[in-house]
Amino acid sequence: MNYMPGTASLIEDIDKKHLVLLRDGRTLIGILRSIDQFANLVLHQTVERIHVGKKFGDIPRGIFVVRGENVVLLGEVDLDKECDQILQRVSIEEILEEQRIEQQAKQESERLKLQAVKERGLSIPKADTLDDF
Amino acid sequence: MTPKMAQPRFGPLSPRPAPFYSPSANALQRFRFPGSVIQLHPQHKRLLSQRPPKPHSSTYRKPERWDPYAELMSDKEKEWIIRLQMIQLQSENPHLDDYYYQEYYKRMEAKLAEEEKRGDWAKRETPKLTTPYVTKTEYYTPVVHIEGSLGQVAVSTCFSPRRAIDTIRGHSPDEDGRHPRLEVHIEKLFSALLEVEEAARRKVYVSVEEKQQLLQDMQRKVEQVYSQIRHTNPQESNEEFLPCLLVSKGKRLLARLLPFLSHDAALHVLTMVTTHLPMLISKDLDEALPVLYAPLRDVVSALSFSQLVGVLKEFTVTVPETNETILTLACQNEFGLSLLYALLSQGERLLSSNVPMEPNIGDFETWTDTVFQVAQQLSKASLVEPLFLPSNLLTLFCRYLDKRTVHQLKSNIESASGYLAVVS
Repeated sequence: MNYMPGTASLIEDIDKKHLVLLRDGRTLIGILRSIDQFANLVLHQTVERIHVGKKFGDIPRGIFVVRGENVVLLGEVDLDKECDQILQRVSIEEILEEQRIEQQAKQESERLKLQAVKERGLSIPKADTLDDF
Repeated sequence: MTPKMAQPRFGPLSPRPAPFYSPSANALQRFRFPGSVIQLHPQHKRLLSQRPPKPHSSTYRKPERWDPYAELMSDKEKEWIIRLQMIQLQSENPHLDDYYYQEYYKRMEAKLAEEEKRGDWAKRETPKLTTPYVTKTEYYTPVVHIEGSLGQVAVSTCFSPRRAIDTIRGHSPDEDGRHPRLEVHIEKLFSALLEVEEAARRKVYVSVEEKQQLLQDMQRKVEQVYSQIRHTNPQESNEEFLPCLLVSKGKRLLARLLPFLSHDAALHVLTMVTTHLPMLISKDLDEALPVLYAPLRDVVSALSFSQLVGVLKEFTVTVPETNETILTLACQNEFGLSLLYALLSQGERLLSSNVPMEPNIGDFETWTDTVFQVAQQLSKASLVEPLFLPSNLLTLFCRYLDKRTVHQLKSNIESASGYLAVVS
């Protein structure tokens, strides 16, 4: 398959369903409608998909305009393979609940780790003081 | 009407290409640009013209509803983006700007030629970069300075969406007006010199007619730079070369220019360097003088005997301020001493070769006098280590001086340089 230089290669992906991973960790699925030279994206009928374990839930979001620099990666969704999925789709409420539980568990383990570290007289810098990109 | 437009568009789900339609060919079809002269490497062109791979016809798509939101992005907009990306790929000197692309296709060509020769037909279908041609951009000012304002405005067009604004521009007044002008001047001369060097490199690859043009260009530029270095300030015509030479970059400039100069011009430079040696030495704070040694040495090796004697005579001149000869000063400076040695070595080489020298009247006298003076100076003064010690120096001294003096000279030279001055 031949491709065009730089962002121009996205032109071939227009009007196709894409999965976009953002830098803040969100996963968006939508139809790519428009792009520009910075790879800013316009996604149509977008859905934010939250994954917890083997379950996932979709939150419909409508139209998304994503600034190009915030995209980690994106790719076309294979509609055949989308049908046969191993993951279990649940309702929004359920997945949000699952997410909350997961967050809590993570925070708890972080807290314990920090405590253990403090007891030993060490210090770990907080994540927001680091350069996270 | 492309095949794609004839087909009904299918919903949010993407249409699978029909057997006769290939997306890559379609993309190229849609975006045809006027007056196209494809600026691709020939190997690249060859690859693109090969039939694209057959798309999968095994998967059958069930038709879905019409997508009302399709083609939101017009063709014009798509073309705009392609154009933008393509502009970055244009260049007048692709070997310089896009070295890796050129090199890659050159190697691929070579490899394929090799494989064909060996009868290896394993073809690998790797993704190819399609680069539709865009006409060369017109120049525009990317950064505009509005009169009376303090800052600058970046003008973005589709030719260049972003252009960094320089934070320091030459609008601010300088306290010392004289110096930057000279350095800026030298920089400009350097750019001209770099072009000359580039042309010299290029003339090997170039055709005969172009070579002629190239040589003429080179000559013109060399003469320009030479006359500019010589007379930086038209009023101060008695100070040839000196302003430029006192700046270390000026020395480097002259050193790189020397190989391109005619013999007479180079001789003039050499004579001038020798005459002004005391000032050059005393003001050489960056110790940049040695950079002149190598090209000047080459000039020396091309000198005739009379020319050589003329230059050597300069060394015996007394500097009024210090009441010493240039010779004395030279011995205490590695560049000066090396230059002296180079001159003497050339003289010895000329004398010992069988080539007829056609000396002028009085040349030999001046020569022997100078050699004596030099020997005297070298034996009594403490010497610095030269940049290079020619091997035929002692042979020279043996001709004219007695054994004892020669021996003393030898030990003095050796102790300075740590080399063994070989007597043949």
